[in-house]
Amino acid sequence: MTTGESWASLAPRRGALTSLEPASPRAWSDRLLFDRERVSRYQSTQVAEITEAVQRRARAAGASAAILSGSTARGRRTGVSDLDYQIVGRTPPEVRDLPEDIDLYADAPERFWAKLRDGDDFTHWSVWYGCVLFDSGIVRDAARWIAEHDAWPDPERKLRQAHHALDFAARMAESGDYGATLEQARGALSLAARWLLLSRDVFPLARDELPEQLTEVGLAELGRVLHRCIHERPSERDLREALAQARLITEAKRSGPRRLAA
Amino acid sequence: MTKAQDEASAGDLRDAVQWSFASLEAAIDALAEKHGIAIEEKHWRRAGAAAELHQNGVLPKDLSDLHELLNEERKGMFYEGEDPDLGDLTIEDALIEIETAVETAEAEAER
Repeated sequence: MTTGESWASLAPRRGALTSLEPASPRAWSDRLLFDRERVSRYQSTQVAEITEAVQRRARAAGASAAILSGSTARGRRTGVSDLDYQIVGRTPPEVRDLPEDIDLYADAPERFWAKLRDGDDFTHWSVWYGCVLFDSGIVRDAARWIAEHDAWPDPERKLRQAHHALDFAARMAESGDYGATLEQARGALSLAARWLLLSRDVFPLARDELPEQLTEVGLAELGRVLHRCIHERPSERDLREALAQARLITEAKRSGPRRLAA
Repeated sequence: MTKAQDEASAGDLRDAVQWSFASLEAAIDALAEKHGIAIEEKHWRRAGAAAELHQNGVLPKDLSDLHELLNEERKGMFYEGEDPDLGDLTIEDALIEIETAVETAEAEAER
């Protein structure tokens, strides 16, 4: 297997990045080539134009690096996907005029490093699975650092986020606003899923891949519910039950979530 | 809207921002549907609709900037655990603007 093929099959498992030896110039060169192929393969014409604009504006703002992240980088966009970018730079590029829901995280280099050290999962995600659009070297250094330190996103951060999100989604469900409830439920269940996977040393991939990953670790029911929230319009009752189930799992953490969730 | 006002009165800015955003989006959705503006459950389209509804004389103010601000702060809370920062705007100011949109949507629904 060539190194390029290795990047394509980077397993969502703790330690997998280390095995690719990102400190090697050859390996990193292959990564950048692989990223360019994905950028070309996974974007529609409209999305590609937006990415080009983000990249151009980030460069003009003096950014050190730009990464296309999230579902687009995995080729798993759905009807509810945002466009995610990680920019490393002091001045965030203006993107409000671009015709898409864009989540752009612009972090100065010190904050980018701090977020990596603190286990921010989006920052880690971008280094593991994002498509590097340009890089002065900070993304390569970050990949090297993760590999050398076996650094891993902090599951507890995700659990705290999941708690808050599940709580608010449950209250939103009582309001009768179905559209807002579905969006909140989708987000909250995704956060809970990411916590569950990270705490089992599985790297959560794109949202549309989470149901399959949940099934693989024995959480098929939660996976089915999340899949329905992404691709269907479950009834309000089903949403409330799903939120209650996820809440039970997150609250049972100390008493053994694996047993309860299965 | 009532929940947003209750949370603002109770001093819970985080929940007040969440409910304010939900109220504003619901009002924009209702008005956009009435005036044939496509939303497709996309936030950026709602921001555009808010501007268009103002240009068409439906809303007295362009609420697209307020929508974008609340959306950003909501996401910051949701994904990064940050406290909301509305800058120079107070949540009470925001609620006055949103209430106008909600009342406009209610009035149009009754026509």
